[in-house]
Amino acid sequence: MQEGFIDYQKVLDNEEHAIKSTQSVIEKAVDWFRSKSMFVLAYGTGCGAIEMPPTFTSRYDIERLGVVGVATPRQADILIVSGYCSYKTLKRVIRSYEQMNEPKYVIALGSCTINGGMYWDSYNTIKRLEDYMPVDIFVNGCMPRPEALIEGFVKLQDNIRNAKRKAGYIKYIEDNEFYKANQRKIFGDNIEPTYEANFEGMN
Amino acid sequence: MFLDIFFMIILAYSFGFLYYGLYRNISARVHGRFGPPIIQSFIDSIKLFSKENSTSFGWAFYAGIIFMATGAVITMLFIPFLNHSTHLIGFSQYGNLIVVLYLMVLGPLGNAIGIGSNGNPFGVMGVTRGLTRLIGLEMPFYIALIGLMIANQTADISTIMANQSEIYNAFAHPLLFIGAFISFVGFMGASPFDVVGAPQEIYSGPATEFSGKFFALALSQSAIFSFTKLLLIVNLFLGGADNLFLLIAKTFILFLAVVLVGNVYSRFTTVGSVEFLIKVPTVIALVGLFFI
Amino acid sequence: MIESLKQHYNIEQKDIRLFKIVIQKEKFLKTLSFISSNSNFITLSQITCTDWIEDKLFTLNYILTNKERNKNLMIELQIPREQSKISTLLNFFPQAKVMERDLHEMYGIEFIGNPTLYDFALENWKEIPPLRREFDTLAYVNEQFEFRRGREDNRDVKVEMKKRRAEAKRLKNAKK
Repeated sequence: MQEGFIDYQKVLDNEEHAIKSTQSVIEKAVDWFRSKSMFVLAYGTGCGAIEMPPTFTSRYDIERLGVVGVATPRQADILIVSGYCSYKTLKRVIRSYEQMNEPKYVIALGSCTINGGMYWDSYNTIKRLEDYMPVDIFVNGCMPRPEALIEGFVKLQDNIRNAKRKAGYIKYIEDNEFYKANQRKIFGDNIEPTYEANFEGMN
Repeated sequence: MFLDIFFMIILAYSFGFLYYGLYRNISARVHGRFGPPIIQSFIDSIKLFSKENSTSFGWAFYAGIIFMATGAVITMLFIPFLNHSTHLIGFSQYGNLIVVLYLMVLGPLGNAIGIGSNGNPFGVMGVTRGLTRLIGLEMPFYIALIGLMIANQTADISTIMANQSEIYNAFAHPLLFIGAFISFVGFMGASPFDVVGAPQEIYSGPATEFSGKFFALALSQSAIFSFTKLLLIVNLFLGGADNLFLLIAKTFILFLAVVLVGNVYSRFTTVGSVEFLIKVPTVIALVGLFFI
Repeated sequence: MIESLKQHYNIEQKDIRLFKIVIQKEKFLKTLSFISSNSNFITLSQITCTDWIEDKLFTLNYILTNKERNKNLMIELQIPREQSKISTLLNFFPQAKVMERDLHEMYGIEFIGNPTLYDFALENWKEIPPLRREFDTLAYVNEQFEFRRGREDNRDVKVEMKKRRAEAKRLKNAKK
């Protein structure tokens, strides 16, 4: 089991991204359907959640793209991490993410998820979200306007249909060691069970 | 016979989903925005069937959802679609209105079996709310239908439909129609009686633990069941239909009325809705019984 | 109300609605019980703390509000920085339970008699209490986290903005 903080750039340099040409017609059609109806988990994790209600209501209506807010992780496809994450919040967010059914995607909103943002020198928030959870789309801004968020959704639709890179949930299963090592560094040993049935590590 | 049944199921399924898409579109225009395309429910269904399952459930969970779906389909098969016709009537010559009313309760019961076996606390809360609300909804509905049965001296739906050649039952017995319509709004899951599945309050109530295939089946069941209830009211109060176009037109007008009422009002609490339903529509229907 | 209290203590007025008393640490409980029972200031609004690292002191400020909610009274006292202990106000004001828990976690002050002095906003925290001035936030962050490498075409903000402003000024002067 790998210990400590690992630079994700080395992991990215070694992997090959999935190319769509090896998929069958049915899988391509199902991906088209998946991109046309996306359910977002109604969970505002930080101060970026103030930009989600205008996007979902009358003025910048995003229901035209088929996006609806649902209330439980079991029915959701997309998790929007909006803003900074302190240690307490991150633990609950990862727990919600692991309860969602696959295929699932993560959109990270705001500059605090990219490089720390306004709280870059705070002792209690994390600086790069993609070290702890796999992220598919970054939308920058502080806060991004609803037009920027809609553009993020359109790009996610494009990514689902054309598969320019490996989806986040596949990365979470394959590189699970990397993510769990980073989580263990900030949470201690009090983290969620791993995907292997490792009973002596669980509590 | 089997071709009949097959076409009835296909028609109910597609029209149920199209009406749900229309519901979202009409609500959106009431709010001043454009909604999703009308075939959005089909796309949602296909996407939900392709999701993977991450947990395992006991046998009672699967049994509950199949119970719900079967109940919806069987209820629909006992109601004739067309008036004065031998096509698209299903099993309606072997059963009558009392059988249909008995089978309509299978939906919430199947929900209770499935969710109750899982143990999710929000699901259990939603199920108890649903069964409590059913007590209130059934009273004015049954009084109105019993009034119709007394007036026509029969319990057969085709006969009640055929007896409306001069004047519709909605105008012959207006108080019964008002009582039945108010509780029908609750049966369709529209405000002010939609406290059961409220996503803002208890995380979608009974559908909390549904994911993937179960959710798609629950949506299909709800679509077929909505179409069934629309059909029942059209047959009993609005004269039925002789051909398919007239049927679609009449169900659409009734559906539009329900949607517009549902968009205006806010939500009652569970106890509040039962209290309202026992007082106002029940008294209206009881008074209407005197004027048969 | 203030006039009657002025006979006993030395009150100075900081603002239209703000008054301040400075007392010694030994007279703390007696003062507070007297004020909360004999005057109109019956609500504890906040307990704040300031870190004077050069004088080796903590300054605690108890802010009371009166019943009509239009005057505030601050009671200030000083406690030493190492081994800082003071008795709790739980018997007079029940809301002091949470405020003292917060201060214990952030500054390390021990309130004698408060049973709920465990962690509040930080989980799994192994360093010294973070709001003390000897805790170097920048060093902690640079050691714990790793920031993104910049882009290759990265430019320094101050230098670039100076250049752009000089260019705009030159263009404006050339137009005249």
